[in-house]
Amino acid sequence: MNARTRWSSGVAGVAVAVLSMSALAACGSADDSGDGGTTTLTMTVWGGDVDKKSYQERVDMLEEAHPDIKVDLQLIPSEQYEQKVQTMIAGGNGPDIMQVAEGVNVYSSKNQILPLDEYVSKSGLDLEERFGPTGTLYSYQDKVYAIPDRSGAMIVYYNKDLFDAAGVDYPTADWTQEDAQAAMEKLTVPGKQWGYGGAGWWAQWWSFAYQNGGQIIDDAGAPTVNTPEVVDALQWANDLTFKDHVVPTAAEYADMGPDMGGDPAFAAQKVAMNTTGFWAIGGLLESDFDWDIAPMWQGEEQAVSAFGSGLAISRDSEHPDKAFEAIDYLTDADAQQVIIDNAQDVPANVQVQQSDAFLEPKWATKDINMGAFADSSEFVFTSPLIPEWNEMQAAFDDNLGTFWNEGGDAKTQLDAIQTKLESIVGQG
Amino acid sequence: MAADLGAVLGAARAQGSRRTGGRRAARLPRPKLSRRGRTEALFFWLFISPWLVGFVGFLLGPMIASVYISLTEWDSFTPPVFVGLDNYVQALTGDPVFWKALWNTFYYAAISVPLGLAVGLWLANLLNKRVRGRKFFRTMIYLPTLVPLVATAMVFKMVLAPSGPLNDLLGVLGVQGPNWLLDPLWVKPALVVLSAWGAGSATVLLLSAMNGIPREFYEAAEIDGAGPFRQFWSITFPQITPIIFFNLIMGLIGAFQIFSQVYILTQGGPDNASQMMVPLLFDQAFGFYHFGYASAVAWLLFVVIIGFTALAFRTSRRWVFYETEVR
Repeated sequence: MNARTRWSSGVAGVAVAVLSMSALAACGSADDSGDGGTTTLTMTVWGGDVDKKSYQERVDMLEEAHPDIKVDLQLIPSEQYEQKVQTMIAGGNGPDIMQVAEGVNVYSSKNQILPLDEYVSKSGLDLEERFGPTGTLYSYQDKVYAIPDRSGAMIVYYNKDLFDAAGVDYPTADWTQEDAQAAMEKLTVPGKQWGYGGAGWWAQWWSFAYQNGGQIIDDAGAPTVNTPEVVDALQWANDLTFKDHVVPTAAEYADMGPDMGGDPAFAAQKVAMNTTGFWAIGGLLESDFDWDIAPMWQGEEQAVSAFGSGLAISRDSEHPDKAFEAIDYLTDADAQQVIIDNAQDVPANVQVQQSDAFLEPKWATKDINMGAFADSSEFVFTSPLIPEWNEMQAAFDDNLGTFWNEGGDAKTQLDAIQTKLESIVGQG
Repeated sequence: MAADLGAVLGAARAQGSRRTGGRRAARLPRPKLSRRGRTEALFFWLFISPWLVGFVGFLLGPMIASVYISLTEWDSFTPPVFVGLDNYVQALTGDPVFWKALWNTFYYAAISVPLGLAVGLWLANLLNKRVRGRKFFRTMIYLPTLVPLVATAMVFKMVLAPSGPLNDLLGVLGVQGPNWLLDPLWVKPALVVLSAWGAGSATVLLLSAMNGIPREFYEAAEIDGAGPFRQFWSITFPQITPIIFFNLIMGLIGAFQIFSQVYILTQGGPDNASQMMVPLLFDQAFGFYHFGYASAVAWLLFVVIIGFTALAFRTSRRWVFYETEVR
């Protein structure tokens, strides 16, 4: 390899991807339908071992209930998922069923996945009844593009031992931001223990912004991040670290170990409260301290973010009817229960969320207030899932790095972000 | 690696001799190939074809395609829209992040490449001495190169922590260490520190070059009364300049294309203080679906790299010494 080829191997990286796309295109459109009346659907999902197990079990159930459907399940590691699916679609060989999340409208805005309203009404599925307010979360321009599959609100994890020792009442949904801060202050032992894990992640501080009545993107689609409501929320989240010292600083986290943050710090009893998703439960079951979960506290209003994923049908699918049939089955109660039985996530199906299987999961070795998820789902705010989601996140990251690491003025940063977002959203 | 070396040296030599012989030879009529010549030519094409096919199919083709893509706006789903030079104009005039990333990449290359060479040279010179346990030290110094980058990066996250081992060490010397990866001012030096970790690969090449220097030179120098420093600068250094030159070129290219370290350690943060060119184009393409813009950035990076490589070759005539070339 001489200097020149070495150079081009890097430069042409993007181009190589392009070439492989066209190569894929050439071999796409091959066998999709099997013989004997069965239809083979490809389905792409992301995740690790527990996800693989859950999805496979659900697919097995589906194949049993619908003998005419076979599913070729492809599990892709999370960090490669977008790139992989993007390549498949660009090659004209998109999966029949694909898992989507916040990035859903990258696909819907470019007509790469099918609007599902027709299929929904044809099948008689009532999204509102099955999923509650998240039913139409994955919509773009008033059309539904994905059916919710997994959906859990962010919840408050709290360390009962530390709360008891400090003589603080356990958190409830009735707590205000002031109550939360008062508790954090009592739970902090300078340099050793902190009241709260911090709110540097969008899901966390955006919740405060919506609690204040603010919005990141308004209903008309324009960014509104430098409004007083959002500024106050961000400043509060930052002050908890740098003014009130009830949250570890980035430097203090870095000293605890590599990739340290609220979740591992809570497990290590360094922080008494942490706000995160369902996924922390599995690891905490093995911990040797007492903890529980509660719905998020409130501000002017109740609001909390939720994360999850939905199932969509790509435009390349040759059997959209069958694909929808499969999605319908996978999001119905029986198949959804597998999600909680495997401690994988919160199923989007509210009927399952309220079932005993969810409220008293068979794997729980202690009492957990699982009702917190169903309680939260009433005040989950609708995340602004704009097509430029990734760029929007980058705009926040690019302007809040130093702010989170060293403190600063929220208004200044949000003014800069507002300008950037206006140019991003303006591009269309 | 050996093939790389030969290729670069060959290129350097070809450039040196082109001026004298090359042009005259071109004017001569092409001699007819003998039967044996034809067979040899056939075999030449036969044996080169795997590389040629690979090059045309996987490098040249995509490169040409990326020139076109860089002139379009393309999200990889819908057909590309031709926009002329808009992407280049946008990068050069409308995108502060591009300039920041370019500056960061310059900063990184300007420090990490000379530093890597100096450290590599120093280590090679030490290892070239007849010390006890020489083989052991050689192994130890090359070892970091064999550790996967992801593992190295994870370790460095701990080493570079605000109260981590590195800052503890600085504390012993009475220096208050910075928050390496969290501070916009120090995040690039932190990446440079990580790059010095990989100096072992240069060391191995330099060391083997040093071993190839005839002993008689040193004996003669010793008789003339030259000390170790004098010997190094007058014998060792000139003799290994081709290898230093090779390491310089490879180091430059590698530094301009830094990706994994940034991707794993900092994701370009804080506030783009460690954003580099290749991570930038990766984000633009695979994160934001701006393939046209990413391709334009790639070509701008190409111009920068080719510029610096050409500069290095140009100056090389002044300081790179080839024994086989008499001047």
